[in-house]
Amino acid sequence: MAVITLPYKYLERLTRTDRKTILDKVPLIGSDVERVEEDHADVEFFPDRPDLFSPEGVARAMRGYLGIEIGLPVYSVKPSGIKFTIDPQLANIRPVLGAAVIRGVSFDDESIQSIMSLQESLHWAVGRGRSKVAIGIHDMDTVKPPFHYIASRRSRGFIPLDFSEKMTMEEILEKHPKGRDYAKIVKDFPLFPLIVDDDDHVLSFPPIINGERTRVTIDTKNILLDTTGTDKRAVGVAVNIICTAMAEAGASIESVEIGGIQTPTLAPAERIISVTECSRILGVSLTPVSMAGYLQRMRFGAEPAGADNVKVQVPCYRADIMHDWDIFEDVAIAYGYDKLESLPPKTYTVGKPHPVQVNAALAREAFTGLGYLEVMPFTLTNEDVLYRRMQREQTKGLLHIMHPISIENTVVRTELLPLLLEFLTLNRHRELPQRLFTVGDVVLDCRTHQQAAGVSTHPDADFSEAYASADAVLHELSIDYTVKESADPAFIDGRRGDIIVAGKKVGVFGEIHPAVLVAFELEHSVAAFEFDLRAVPGYPAI
Amino acid sequence: MAELTQNEKRLLATLESEKKADAPHLAGLMGATPEAVVQWAHLLEDKGLATVGRIVVKEFVYTDEGKTYANTGLPETQLLRFILPGTTLADLQKHEAFRIGFGQLRKKGLVKVEGTSVTKMPGASTDADESALRNPAAGDAKTKELIKRGILEECETVRNAIAITPEGITIVKKGLDLREETGTLTREQIISGEWKNLTFRKYDVSKLPKKAYPGKIHPYQRIIAEMREILLEMGFEELYGGIVQQSFWNFDALFQPQDHPAREMQDTFYLNETLPLPEGYEKVKAMHISGGETSSTGWGGAWREEKAEQCVLRTHTTSVSIQHLAQNLKPPVKAFCVGRVYRRETIDTTHLAEFEQLEGIVMDENVTFGNLLGILREFYNRMGFESVRFKPSFYPYTEPSLDAEVYVEGIGWIEMGGAGVFREEVTAPLGVTYPVLAWGLGVSRIAMLRLGLKDLRLLHKSDVAFLRETPSLRNTKGGL
Repeated sequence: MAVITLPYKYLERLTRTDRKTILDKVPLIGSDVERVEEDHADVEFFPDRPDLFSPEGVARAMRGYLGIEIGLPVYSVKPSGIKFTIDPQLANIRPVLGAAVIRGVSFDDESIQSIMSLQESLHWAVGRGRSKVAIGIHDMDTVKPPFHYIASRRSRGFIPLDFSEKMTMEEILEKHPKGRDYAKIVKDFPLFPLIVDDDDHVLSFPPIINGERTRVTIDTKNILLDTTGTDKRAVGVAVNIICTAMAEAGASIESVEIGGIQTPTLAPAERIISVTECSRILGVSLTPVSMAGYLQRMRFGAEPAGADNVKVQVPCYRADIMHDWDIFEDVAIAYGYDKLESLPPKTYTVGKPHPVQVNAALAREAFTGLGYLEVMPFTLTNEDVLYRRMQREQTKGLLHIMHPISIENTVVRTELLPLLLEFLTLNRHRELPQRLFTVGDVVLDCRTHQQAAGVSTHPDADFSEAYASADAVLHELSIDYTVKESADPAFIDGRRGDIIVAGKKVGVFGEIHPAVLVAFELEHSVAAFEFDLRAVPGYPAI
Repeated sequence: MAELTQNEKRLLATLESEKKADAPHLAGLMGATPEAVVQWAHLLEDKGLATVGRIVVKEFVYTDEGKTYANTGLPETQLLRFILPGTTLADLQKHEAFRIGFGQLRKKGLVKVEGTSVTKMPGASTDADESALRNPAAGDAKTKELIKRGILEECETVRNAIAITPEGITIVKKGLDLREETGTLTREQIISGEWKNLTFRKYDVSKLPKKAYPGKIHPYQRIIAEMREILLEMGFEELYGGIVQQSFWNFDALFQPQDHPAREMQDTFYLNETLPLPEGYEKVKAMHISGGETSSTGWGGAWREEKAEQCVLRTHTTSVSIQHLAQNLKPPVKAFCVGRVYRRETIDTTHLAEFEQLEGIVMDENVTFGNLLGILREFYNRMGFESVRFKPSFYPYTEPSLDAEVYVEGIGWIEMGGAGVFREEVTAPLGVTYPVLAWGLGVSRIAMLRLGLKDLRLLHKSDVAFLRETPSLRNTKGGL
């Protein structure tokens, strides 16, 4: 989520209304006001609306929503006459380039900060951490066009931003903080992307760092914007969002020529959308005129087109409009979520619980009837708990998490009993007897099924108790079982039984082995059992 | 005056004739243990009817050795009895008491050894020693000697002297009902009709009961059960599905682009497993690349089968409901799923790597975004939240999207969950032709608020005392 700082004075000037009106209404276009400070507010916007990641963008949207200025914002673009060349060797490295010239900017410390944070937010939301899109902003008057986007040898050097010494690009990846952060995007390429001017001065080593030479300061009047990446649409949207935000702030935008094409155009995309379909999805009754009105408040160009259509011009900065339904959401926002009639659907349907959950509930009923207290352990655990402490061999079908967060949580549980013993450890200081159970998912290979397990600890807990409790729960679930002496090393030899259904082992019960008790730091005997709920007649195939 | 128990009355009656006595004596008279008598006496003392005083008594008790001699006589006595005219030293040495006894006899000058024969001195007797052994007395030289020899021990015992007070006497004079009280009512007493003549012992209702802990389901399970019940009442079918899901169903089928940050290793738990893609997956692929046959542009770029085949721990239960939808194309479909979901979060008091999610879908011919608001309002109202409001939001697979908020007295508006209409990019490749309303909520959030937990981990690593003390029926107000 992007949290955008909105300085009141600047916002009020751009929006042409007071801060209170803006802050009251800004959540209604899709945001959360995080903090209201003396001179600014911090507002969080959704990642699908990077056009709102600047005060200029927010002001533009709010002018429309509040009816101060509606319809499509039009941005004029003059050709700058500046050209970029692209080295064909970049095709497999970082092929896409977007650029623009932004003239007549007037920066102060605050507005430089604002453009830098827009740039960073775009890197995050559109650029996928600079891999898909990276943006560079340069003081245009320090360099000489035409510009060249080249694939350079890795040993070439220049002075990177915030440094005073020349470094090779390989050194930058090792030593410069930004180099270390983003090295993984380029480090495997034989050549590195580089933007230079006609005198071979380095502007930028995308997506890592700009050159110190083109640093933007409060004296900067004209900006050269470079945007490189791997995805043409994403690069285009990033250029459009920055250019239109700067235009909102009063600058004029000029296009550059890349591969014979003038870019950007900042022209809207057109869509013809159906009023009936929009009404059907939202559940409100709309006409072409009313719908066009709502859309104009959301800064679309919109006019009725025949009996059932609206011709929509989508602003070039709206990265989120992929489908007609994306426009329907804007209609709903302008209409007001609070005004939508909220009625449940009328179709008659019958509720139906899932048999797995019905079985689980019956198992819980049997356990609680025996005085067992339910616990709900985590499903992620580790081999130490599941196997080593239990003196058991690793269960076939155990799944390891590829990048666990901690050594505590490295696998998905294959049994429940070890987790119940862990619970007893946790509750050693609590009054005995303790009888605990759990019913829940375990995973073998990639398949999930439910098991049930119970433990009872007190000075007299023994085999007989384990057998009696297991028998009671199995009986309640209509599991027709036989018992065979078990070889499960978690239990005491001669005090353990395997639960057999249709010739297959489905569970085990008995008195926990003292070595296991010691491994779990327990001091009283434990009667325990666990069984597979797939043994319940009619358990569905999942 | 507090009610007297049967035992207190009996003690009082006994005391009335004894006036003052120690506990063992009274116990003997009453056929009870001295400990019980002392306990009853203290209860009488609390009521001002008796006094309990401490008497410290010095007593001589036998050591283990002494106990034996009390039966057999002292070793020297035994030997003395053994010595007859003509007894040789060798004979005497065979006696088991020889080692200790002979020394004592010599020391006391009671025998004479001449050559191999042993003879008693005239008038030799150990009667004084035996007398001290049987009736030791303080200050007696013989007793002191026996103590020194480790045969007797001196010890102090505390005895309770119990005496009746004038108030006690008055009560006894007034007459006590000494009919025997019944503790446990037996089967025989019931069937024989004897119960009609019994006086039942009364219990003190002002005392707290002994704690009993019922077996019960987890308070969190109860909240889940409540939500399930509400949705079943609202006509939803329940779904259940696997924890391990293919990326295809967890992400791709939900139009989550393959380069989306949520799909990265930092946010999702991946497993070193793959599953083959389902039949017809190409439609999903085409949707990602170009928007298929809809008005969508798609995400553009590449879509790799290997990425979709990878298995993950499901990040939402939507991976289960989307598969249900793909298999049930005929309207209406109204389904929900509650289950554990996984996010690769650093675990702290408000974030867990695994938590319960509740999520539902409605597919029907004419369902609308407005109906979605209606379902959510109904659900939250039934959960006890009277005020519900909605605001715009963003979820990758729904459009339009919303967040539902409920009002809680003393806290304010709380975000409860997200919802929206499944994007056509999601439904079209599955062959779903009607709108699908989808919504989800974090169950643990409500649980945390309701149970007043400061640390979410306590739901899963619970203190047994917390589980025992949380009542099944909680007096919920305004949903919490």
